Amino acid sequence: MKTAMTRDWKVTQRFLRQLLTGCLLLPVAAHAGSTAPTIKLFPTTVLEEIKHTGNVAAEMETGLQAVIGRLDEQQQLYMESKCEGNEGDPGCERIARQLGKSYLEMLNVMADKLPEMETAVNATSSSLEKRIRMELGQKKTSWTLQELLIGEESGASATASQPSLRGRSGMRLSDRFSQYYKLVARSGGKTNSSLAVIASDIYLDMQETSSLIARTREEISRATLMEQLNQSFGTITPEMQEVVAGVKAILFGEEQDVIPMAIPPAGPADSGYESALQM
Amino acid sequence: MNSSIKSKLGGLVTVAALTASLAACSSNPTQATTCTPPQGPNLESALSKARFDLETGCEHEFDAYFQRLLTIAEGDPKQENKASFSDFLLWTNDAGLLSKRQAREIYNRYFGVKYVSLISDYSVCQQTCPDQSAVMRDMNRELGDKEQGLLRISADRLNYTRASNLYQETELVLEATCEACGPVE
Repeated sequence: MKTAMTRDWKVTQRFLRQLLTGCLLLPVAAHAGSTAPTIKLFPTTVLEEIKHTGNVAAEMETGLQAVIGRLDEQQQLYMESKCEGNEGDPGCERIARQLGKSYLEMLNVMADKLPEMETAVNATSSSLEKRIRMELGQKKTSWTLQELLIGEESGASATASQPSLRGRSGMRLSDRFSQYYKLVARSGGKTNSSLAVIASDIYLDMQETSSLIARTREEISRATLMEQLNQSFGTITPEMQEVVAGVKAILFGEEQDVIPMAIPPAGPADSGYESALQM
Repeated sequence: MNSSIKSKLGGLVTVAALTASLAACSSNPTQATTCTPPQGPNLESALSKARFDLETGCEHEFDAYFQRLLTIAEGDPKQENKASFSDFLLWTNDAGLLSKRQAREIYNRYFGVKYVSLISDYSVCQQTCPDQSAVMRDMNRELGDKEQGLLRISADRLNYTRASNLYQETELVLEATCEACGPVE
Protein backbone atom coordinates (compact mmCIF):
# COMPACT_ATOMS: atom_id res chain seq x y z
CA MET A 1 0.00 0.00 0.00
CA LYS A 2 2.89 2.29 0.82
CA THR A 3 4.21 1.95 -2.72
CA ALA A 4 0.81 2.59 -4.19
CA MET A 5 0.31 5.75 -2.16
CA THR A 6 3.74 7.03 -3.11
CA ARG A 7 2.98 6.42 -6.78
CA ASP A 8 -0.34 8.22 -6.39
CA TRP A 9 1.45 11.13 -4.93
CA LYS A 10 3.99 11.30 -7.71
CA VAL A 11 1.27 11.35 -10.35
CA THR A 12 -0.72 13.90 -8.38
CA GLN A 13 2.34 16.05 -7.88
CA ARG A 14 3.23 16.10 -11.56
CA PHE A 15 -0.33 16.86 -12.47
CA LEU A 16 -0.54 19.76 -10.05
CA ARG A 17 2.58 21.24 -11.56
CA GLN A 18 0.96 21.12 -14.96
CA LEU A 19 -2.29 22.42 -13.56
CA LEU A 20 -0.75 25.54 -12.16
CA THR A 21 1.12 26.15 -15.38
CA GLY A 22 -2.22 26.07 -17.14
CA CYS A 23 -3.61 28.64 -14.71
CA LEU A 24 -0.80 30.96 -15.49
CA LEU A 25 -1.04 30.91 -19.23
CA LEU A 26 -3.92 33.31 -19.43
CA PRO A 27 -2.17 36.67 -19.04
CA VAL A 28 0.62 35.56 -21.35
CA ALA A 29 -1.83 34.65 -24.04
CA ALA A 30 -3.74 37.87 -23.66
CA HIS A 31 -0.58 39.89 -24.04
CA ALA A 32 0.63 37.86 -26.97
CA GLY A 33 -2.59 38.52 -28.79
CA SER A 34 -2.18 42.27 -28.62
CA THR A 35 1.06 42.32 -30.63
CA ALA A 36 -0.45 41.26 -33.97
CA PRO A 37 2.24 38.78 -34.98
CA THR A 38 2.93 38.15 -38.63
CA ILE A 39 3.13 34.44 -37.94
CA LYS A 40 -0.27 33.34 -36.77
CA LEU A 41 0.49 31.10 -33.84
CA PHE A 42 -2.06 32.62 -31.51
CA PRO A 43 -5.27 33.41 -33.39
CA THR A 44 -8.32 34.36 -31.32
CA THR A 45 -9.62 30.80 -31.16
CA VAL A 46 -6.40 29.53 -29.62
CA LEU A 47 -6.33 32.41 -27.16
CA GLU A 48 -9.91 31.67 -26.14
CA GLU A 49 -9.07 28.03 -25.59
CA ILE A 50 -6.05 28.90 -23.51
CA LYS A 51 -8.18 31.32 -21.51
CA HIS A 52 -10.81 28.66 -20.89
CA THR A 53 -8.17 26.13 -19.87
CA GLY A 54 -6.72 28.68 -17.48
CA ASN A 55 -10.14 29.30 -15.93
CA VAL A 56 -10.84 25.60 -15.44
CA ALA A 57 -7.40 25.12 -13.91
CA ALA A 58 -7.93 28.14 -11.64
CA GLU A 59 -11.21 26.68 -10.36
CA MET A 60 -9.52 23.42 -9.62
CA GLU A 61 -6.64 25.15 -7.89
CA THR A 62 -9.05 27.12 -5.69
CA GLY A 63 -10.90 23.96 -4.68
CA LEU A 64 -7.68 22.20 -3.87
CA GLN A 65 -6.25 25.08 -1.89
CA ALA A 66 -9.22 25.09 0.46
CA VAL A 67 -9.06 21.39 1.17
CA ILE A 68 -5.30 21.46 1.49
CA GLY A 69 -5.61 24.24 4.07
CA ARG A 70 -7.91 22.01 6.06
CA LEU A 71 -5.56 19.05 5.71
CA ASP A 72 -2.77 21.24 7.02
CA GLU A 73 -4.74 22.21 10.11
CA GLN A 74 -5.79 18.63 10.78
CA GLN A 75 -2.27 17.36 10.44
CA GLN A 76 -1.01 20.02 12.81
CA LEU A 77 -3.67 19.05 15.34
CA TYR A 78 -2.68 15.41 14.97
CA MET A 79 0.96 16.25 15.67
CA GLU A 80 0.23 18.62 18.54
CA SER A 81 -1.99 15.98 20.15
CA LYS A 82 1.00 13.63 20.09
CA CYS A 83 -1.00 11.07 18.17
CA GLU A 84 2.02 9.51 16.52
CA GLY A 85 2.61 6.15 18.17
CA ASN A 86 -0.68 6.57 20.01
CA GLU A 87 -3.07 5.44 17.28
CA GLY A 88 -5.31 3.49 19.64
CA ASP A 89 -6.42 6.67 21.39
CA PRO A 90 -10.07 7.45 20.46
CA GLY A 91 -9.33 11.18 20.04
CA CYS A 92 -6.43 10.50 17.72
CA GLU A 93 -8.48 8.02 15.78
CA ARG A 94 -11.13 10.71 15.24
CA ILE A 95 -8.58 13.22 13.99
CA ALA A 96 -7.11 10.60 11.66
CA ARG A 97 -10.52 9.84 10.19
CA GLN A 98 -11.18 13.56 9.63
CA LEU A 99 -7.83 13.86 7.95
CA GLY A 100 -8.65 10.88 5.76
CA LYS A 101 -11.96 12.50 4.82
CA SER A 102 -10.21 15.66 3.74
CA TYR A 103 -7.82 13.58 1.69
CA LEU A 104 -10.74 11.88 0.00
CA GLU A 105 -12.28 15.27 -0.62
CA MET A 106 -9.10 16.36 -2.38
CA LEU A 107 -9.28 13.31 -4.58
CA ASN A 108 -12.95 14.03 -5.27
CA VAL A 109 -12.25 17.62 -6.32
CA MET A 110 -9.70 16.32 -8.75
CA ALA A 111 -12.00 13.59 -10.03
CA ASP A 112 -14.78 16.13 -10.47
CA LYS A 113 -12.77 18.70 -12.37
CA LEU A 114 -10.45 16.50 -14.35
CA PRO A 115 -12.80 15.60 -17.23
CA GLU A 116 -13.46 19.28 -17.99
CA MET A 117 -9.79 20.02 -17.61
CA GLU A 118 -8.89 17.18 -19.94
CA THR A 119 -11.27 18.44 -22.61
CA ALA A 120 -9.94 21.98 -22.35
CA VAL A 121 -6.30 20.91 -22.44
CA ASN A 122 -6.82 18.60 -25.38
CA ALA A 123 -8.67 21.28 -27.35
CA THR A 124 -5.92 23.81 -26.74
CA SER A 125 -3.22 21.30 -27.55
CA SER A 126 -4.93 20.33 -30.77
CA SER A 127 -5.37 23.94 -31.92
CA LEU A 128 -1.79 24.84 -31.11
CA GLU A 129 -0.60 21.72 -32.86
CA LYS A 130 -2.31 22.80 -36.08
CA ARG A 131 -0.89 26.32 -35.89
CA ILE A 132 2.64 25.13 -35.15
CA ARG A 133 2.50 22.52 -37.90
CA MET A 134 1.32 25.07 -40.43
CA GLU A 135 3.30 28.16 -39.42
CA LEU A 136 6.57 26.57 -38.32
CA GLY A 137 6.55 23.08 -39.77
CA GLN A 138 5.25 23.65 -43.28
CA LYS A 139 5.96 27.31 -44.02
CA LYS A 140 9.52 27.33 -42.70
CA THR A 141 12.74 25.55 -43.56
CA SER A 142 15.09 24.93 -40.65
CA TRP A 143 17.15 27.88 -41.90
CA THR A 144 14.22 30.32 -42.00
CA LEU A 145 13.02 28.97 -38.66
CA GLN A 146 16.42 29.85 -37.22
CA GLU A 147 16.18 33.31 -38.74
CA LEU A 148 12.81 33.73 -37.10
CA LEU A 149 14.22 32.69 -33.75
CA ILE A 150 17.23 34.93 -33.93
CA GLY A 151 14.97 37.86 -34.75
CA GLU A 152 15.20 40.58 -37.26
CA GLU A 153 17.91 42.47 -35.43
CA SER A 154 21.39 41.22 -36.10
CA GLY A 155 23.12 43.82 -33.97
CA ALA A 156 24.86 43.00 -30.73
CA SER A 157 22.20 44.66 -28.61
CA ALA A 158 19.40 42.63 -30.12
CA THR A 159 19.30 39.88 -27.58
CA ALA A 160 21.19 41.36 -24.70
CA SER A 161 18.04 42.47 -22.91
CA GLN A 162 15.83 39.52 -23.78
CA PRO A 163 14.71 37.28 -20.97
CA SER A 164 16.43 33.95 -20.73
CA LEU A 165 14.97 30.72 -21.92
CA ARG A 166 14.61 28.45 -19.00
CA GLY A 167 13.84 25.01 -20.44
CA ARG A 168 10.60 23.16 -20.05
CA SER A 169 10.66 21.58 -16.65
CA GLY A 170 12.04 21.61 -13.15
CA MET A 171 11.23 25.21 -12.34
CA ARG A 172 8.93 26.48 -9.65
CA LEU A 173 5.56 27.31 -11.14
CA SER A 174 5.40 30.93 -10.09
CA ASP A 175 8.87 31.48 -11.59
CA ARG A 176 7.81 29.66 -14.70
CA PHE A 177 4.93 32.07 -15.12
CA SER A 178 7.17 34.99 -14.47
CA GLN A 179 9.54 33.83 -17.21
CA TYR A 180 6.72 33.38 -19.69
CA TYR A 181 5.38 36.79 -18.91
CA LYS A 182 8.75 38.51 -19.21
CA LEU A 183 9.49 36.73 -22.45
CA VAL A 184 6.46 38.33 -24.01
CA ALA A 185 6.29 41.57 -22.09
CA ARG A 186 9.89 42.64 -22.67
CA SER A 187 10.04 41.83 -26.34
CA GLY A 188 7.79 44.75 -27.26
CA GLY A 189 6.87 44.81 -30.91
CA LYS A 190 9.36 42.14 -31.95
CA THR A 191 7.60 39.12 -30.58
CA ASN A 192 7.65 36.64 -33.45
CA SER A 193 10.70 34.80 -32.20
CA SER A 194 9.43 34.82 -28.63
CA LEU A 195 5.99 33.70 -29.71
CA ALA A 196 7.44 30.71 -31.53
CA VAL A 197 9.28 29.71 -28.38
CA ILE A 198 6.26 30.31 -26.13
CA ALA A 199 3.93 28.45 -28.46
CA SER A 200 6.33 25.51 -28.49
CA ASP A 201 6.66 25.56 -24.73
CA ILE A 202 2.92 25.71 -24.13
CA TYR A 203 2.23 23.01 -26.69
CA LEU A 204 4.74 20.58 -25.17
CA ASP A 205 3.40 21.35 -21.69
CA MET A 206 -0.14 20.69 -22.88
CA GLN A 207 0.93 17.37 -24.39
CA GLU A 208 2.49 16.33 -21.11
CA THR A 209 -0.47 17.62 -19.09
CA SER A 210 -2.89 15.68 -21.24
CA SER A 211 -1.03 12.46 -20.64
CA LEU A 212 -0.78 13.18 -16.90
CA ILE A 213 -4.49 13.86 -16.63
CA ALA A 214 -5.25 10.54 -18.26
CA ARG A 215 -2.94 8.75 -15.83
CA THR A 216 -4.27 10.68 -12.85
CA ARG A 217 -7.84 9.80 -13.70
CA GLU A 218 -6.89 6.14 -13.80
CA GLU A 219 -5.23 6.41 -10.39
CA ILE A 220 -7.91 8.38 -8.57
CA SER A 221 -10.52 5.66 -8.30
CA ARG A 222 -7.95 3.23 -6.95
CA ALA A 223 -6.53 5.80 -4.51
CA THR A 224 -10.06 6.60 -3.32
CA LEU A 225 -10.77 2.95 -2.64
CA MET A 226 -7.55 2.59 -0.69
CA GLU A 227 -8.34 5.61 1.44
CA GLN A 228 -11.85 4.34 2.10
CA LEU A 229 -10.24 1.19 3.46
CA ASN A 230 -7.95 3.31 5.64
CA GLN A 231 -11.00 5.14 6.98
CA SER A 232 -12.40 1.91 8.36
CA PHE A 233 -9.19 1.47 10.37
CA GLY A 234 -8.96 5.12 11.39
CA THR A 235 -5.21 5.48 10.84
CA ILE A 236 -3.10 8.22 9.37
CA THR A 237 -0.33 6.86 7.22
CA PRO A 238 3.08 8.46 6.70
CA GLU A 239 2.30 8.44 2.98
CA MET A 240 -0.75 10.60 3.57
CA GLN A 241 1.39 13.08 5.45
CA GLU A 242 3.81 13.10 2.55
CA VAL A 243 0.98 13.75 0.12
CA VAL A 244 -0.24 16.72 2.09
CA ALA A 245 3.25 18.13 2.50
CA GLY A 246 3.95 17.63 -1.18
CA VAL A 247 0.77 19.29 -2.37
CA LYS A 248 1.50 22.24 -0.13
CA ALA A 249 4.98 22.50 -1.55
CA ILE A 250 3.58 22.80 -5.03
CA LEU A 251 0.72 25.15 -4.34
CA PHE A 252 2.57 27.46 -2.00
CA GLY A 253 5.89 27.29 -3.82
CA GLU A 254 8.35 25.80 -1.41
CA GLU A 255 11.87 25.00 -2.52
CA GLN A 256 12.30 22.94 -5.66
CA ASP A 257 15.10 22.20 -8.10
CA VAL A 258 16.34 25.26 -9.86
CA ILE A 259 17.47 24.97 -13.45
CA PRO A 260 20.41 27.25 -14.24
CA MET A 261 19.48 29.79 -16.83
CA ALA A 262 21.57 30.92 -19.75
CA ILE A 263 22.35 34.56 -19.21
CA PRO A 264 24.80 36.68 -21.13
CA PRO A 265 28.13 36.62 -19.29
CA ALA A 266 29.74 39.90 -18.43
CA GLY A 267 32.39 40.89 -20.93
CA PRO A 268 33.46 43.28 -23.62
CA ALA A 269 30.87 44.41 -26.11
CA ASP A 270 30.78 42.99 -29.62
CA SER A 271 33.07 44.68 -32.10
CA GLY A 272 30.33 44.86 -34.68
CA TYR A 273 32.66 43.40 -37.27
CA GLU A 274 30.81 42.13 -40.31
CA SER A 275 32.61 39.84 -42.69
CA ALA A 276 31.82 39.73 -46.37
CA LEU A 277 31.18 36.05 -45.68
CA GLN A 278 28.57 36.73 -43.00
CA MET A 279 25.32 34.85 -43.62
CA MET B 1 88.48 34.89 -81.08
CA ASN B 2 85.31 36.90 -80.84
CA SER B 3 83.29 34.05 -82.13
CA SER B 4 84.97 31.71 -79.62
CA ILE B 5 84.11 34.02 -76.66
CA LYS B 6 80.62 34.37 -77.95
CA SER B 7 80.17 30.64 -78.17
CA LYS B 8 81.63 30.17 -74.62
CA LEU B 9 79.35 32.87 -73.22
CA GLY B 10 76.43 31.30 -75.04
CA GLY B 11 77.29 27.97 -73.42
CA LEU B 12 77.45 29.55 -69.95
CA VAL B 13 74.08 31.25 -70.41
CA THR B 14 72.58 27.96 -71.52
CA VAL B 15 74.02 26.13 -68.50
CA ALA B 16 72.85 28.87 -66.16
CA ALA B 17 69.37 28.80 -67.68
CA LEU B 18 69.22 25.01 -67.40
CA THR B 19 70.41 25.14 -63.78
CA ALA B 20 67.83 27.79 -62.95
CA SER B 21 65.04 25.90 -64.59
CA LEU B 22 66.03 22.64 -62.86
CA ALA B 23 66.08 24.47 -59.52
CA ALA B 24 62.66 25.90 -60.25
CA CYS B 25 61.34 22.46 -61.19
CA SER B 26 62.69 20.86 -58.07
CA SER B 27 61.20 23.50 -55.73
CA ASN B 28 57.56 22.35 -56.11
CA PRO B 29 58.07 18.69 -55.26
CA THR B 30 60.15 19.72 -52.26
CA GLN B 31 57.37 22.04 -51.10
CA ALA B 32 54.70 19.43 -51.72
CA THR B 33 56.50 16.84 -49.62
CA THR B 34 56.99 19.21 -46.71
CA CYS B 35 53.48 20.45 -46.13
CA THR B 36 53.98 21.36 -42.51
CA PRO B 37 51.31 23.58 -40.99
CA PRO B 38 52.72 26.80 -39.56
CA GLN B 39 54.21 26.95 -36.10
CA GLY B 40 54.69 29.79 -33.65
CA PRO B 41 52.38 32.19 -31.90
CA ASN B 42 52.06 34.88 -34.57
CA LEU B 43 48.80 34.56 -36.49
CA GLU B 44 49.71 36.93 -39.32
CA SER B 45 52.98 35.07 -40.04
CA ALA B 46 51.14 31.79 -39.86
CA LEU B 47 48.51 33.05 -42.30
CA SER B 48 51.23 34.16 -44.73
CA LYS B 49 52.96 30.80 -44.59
CA ALA B 50 49.65 29.00 -44.98
CA ARG B 51 48.81 31.08 -48.05
CA PHE B 52 52.18 30.31 -49.60
CA ASP B 53 52.03 26.58 -48.89
CA LEU B 54 48.41 26.16 -49.93
CA GLU B 55 49.03 27.68 -53.33
CA THR B 56 52.28 25.79 -53.90
CA GLY B 57 51.12 22.22 -53.67
CA CYS B 58 49.69 21.78 -50.18
CA GLU B 59 46.05 22.46 -50.95
CA HIS B 60 45.15 18.87 -50.03
CA GLU B 61 46.23 19.70 -46.48
CA PHE B 62 43.80 22.62 -46.17
CA ASP B 63 41.94 21.19 -43.17
CA ALA B 64 45.12 20.60 -41.18
CA TYR B 65 46.37 24.09 -41.99
CA PHE B 66 43.06 25.68 -41.03
CA GLN B 67 42.91 23.82 -37.73
CA ARG B 68 46.46 24.90 -36.94
CA LEU B 69 45.58 28.52 -37.68
CA LEU B 70 42.64 28.29 -35.31
CA THR B 71 44.88 26.87 -32.58
CA ILE B 72 47.45 29.63 -33.10
CA ALA B 73 44.72 32.29 -32.95
CA GLU B 74 43.51 30.91 -29.63
CA GLY B 75 46.83 32.00 -28.16
CA ASP B 76 45.92 35.65 -28.68
CA PRO B 77 42.14 36.07 -28.56
CA LYS B 78 40.91 39.38 -29.93
CA GLN B 79 38.11 40.79 -32.03
CA GLU B 80 40.45 41.44 -34.99
CA ASN B 81 41.05 37.72 -35.46
CA LYS B 82 37.61 37.43 -36.99
CA ALA B 83 38.64 39.78 -39.81
CA SER B 84 41.92 37.89 -40.32
CA PHE B 85 40.08 34.63 -40.84
CA SER B 86 37.51 36.29 -43.05
CA ASP B 87 40.28 37.68 -45.28
CA PHE B 88 42.02 34.31 -45.34
CA LEU B 89 38.85 32.48 -46.38
CA LEU B 90 38.10 35.08 -49.04
CA TRP B 91 41.61 34.49 -50.35
CA THR B 92 41.03 30.72 -50.47
CA ASN B 93 38.09 31.43 -52.71
CA ASP B 94 40.11 33.78 -54.93
CA ALA B 95 42.89 31.18 -55.09
CA GLY B 96 40.44 28.55 -56.21
CA LEU B 97 40.92 26.37 -53.13
CA LEU B 98 37.33 26.70 -51.87
CA SER B 99 34.08 27.71 -53.47
CA LYS B 100 32.37 30.83 -52.18
CA ARG B 101 29.79 28.64 -50.51
CA GLN B 102 32.40 26.52 -48.77
CA ALA B 103 34.27 29.60 -47.57
CA ARG B 104 31.05 31.14 -46.29
CA GLU B 105 30.04 27.97 -44.46
CA ILE B 106 33.42 27.57 -42.79
CA TYR B 107 33.47 31.20 -41.69
CA ASN B 108 29.97 31.05 -40.24
CA ARG B 109 30.53 27.69 -38.57
CA TYR B 110 33.22 29.30 -36.42
CA PHE B 111 32.47 33.01 -36.37
CA GLY B 112 28.76 33.38 -37.13
CA VAL B 113 25.80 33.18 -34.77
CA LYS B 114 23.58 31.24 -37.16
CA TYR B 115 24.03 27.52 -37.63
CA VAL B 116 25.12 26.25 -41.02
CA SER B 117 23.94 22.85 -39.81
CA LEU B 118 20.43 24.18 -40.40
CA ILE B 119 20.88 24.99 -44.06
CA SER B 120 18.05 23.28 -45.93
CA ASP B 121 15.85 23.64 -48.97
CA TYR B 122 12.63 22.00 -47.84
CA SER B 123 10.18 22.48 -45.01
CA VAL B 124 10.90 21.57 -41.41
CA CYS B 125 8.25 18.84 -41.50
CA GLN B 126 9.63 17.34 -44.71
CA GLN B 127 13.36 17.63 -44.31
CA THR B 128 14.37 18.36 -40.74
CA CYS B 129 11.98 16.32 -38.61
CA PRO B 130 12.77 12.94 -40.18
CA ASP B 131 16.38 13.52 -39.13
CA GLN B 132 15.83 15.62 -36.04
CA SER B 133 18.32 13.94 -33.74
CA ALA B 134 21.09 14.07 -36.35
CA VAL B 135 20.39 17.77 -36.92
CA MET B 136 20.66 18.43 -33.20
CA ARG B 137 23.92 16.48 -33.01
CA ASP B 138 25.35 18.56 -35.87
CA MET B 139 24.22 21.76 -34.18
CA ASN B 140 25.84 20.64 -30.96
CA ARG B 141 29.14 20.07 -32.73
CA GLU B 142 28.82 23.44 -34.42
CA LEU B 143 28.18 25.09 -31.05
CA GLY B 144 31.56 23.68 -30.01
CA ASP B 145 33.16 25.26 -33.10
CA LYS B 146 31.48 28.56 -32.30
CA GLU B 147 32.86 28.37 -28.80
CA GLN B 148 36.31 28.11 -30.35
CA GLY B 149 35.76 30.80 -32.99
CA LEU B 150 33.65 33.33 -31.14
CA LEU B 151 34.78 32.84 -27.58
CA ARG B 152 38.33 31.50 -27.57
CA ILE B 153 39.59 33.22 -30.73
CA SER B 154 37.52 36.41 -31.07
CA ALA B 155 36.72 37.07 -27.38
CA ASP B 156 33.18 37.81 -28.54
CA ARG B 157 31.13 36.65 -25.56
CA LEU B 158 27.98 38.41 -26.58
CA ASN B 159 27.65 36.66 -29.91
CA TYR B 160 28.63 33.33 -28.40
CA THR B 161 25.81 33.74 -25.90
CA ARG B 162 23.45 34.52 -28.75
CA ALA B 163 24.55 31.36 -30.52
CA SER B 164 24.10 29.34 -27.36
CA ASN B 165 20.62 30.74 -26.75
CA LEU B 166 19.72 30.10 -30.36
CA TYR B 167 20.73 26.48 -29.91
CA GLN B 168 18.43 26.08 -26.90
CA GLU B 169 15.50 27.81 -28.58
CA THR B 170 15.93 25.80 -31.76
CA GLU B 171 15.99 22.58 -29.76
CA LEU B 172 12.72 23.48 -28.03
CA VAL B 173 10.94 24.75 -31.13
CA LEU B 174 12.08 21.81 -33.25
CA GLU B 175 10.85 19.38 -30.61
CA ALA B 176 7.42 21.00 -30.59
CA THR B 177 7.26 21.44 -34.35
CA CYS B 178 8.27 17.87 -35.09
CA GLU B 179 5.72 16.64 -32.54
CA ALA B 180 3.11 18.75 -34.34
CA CYS B 181 4.21 17.53 -37.77
CA GLY B 182 3.42 14.01 -36.65
CA PRO B 183 5.14 10.75 -37.48
CA VAL B 184 7.23 10.53 -40.63
CA GLU B 185 5.45 8.64 -43.38
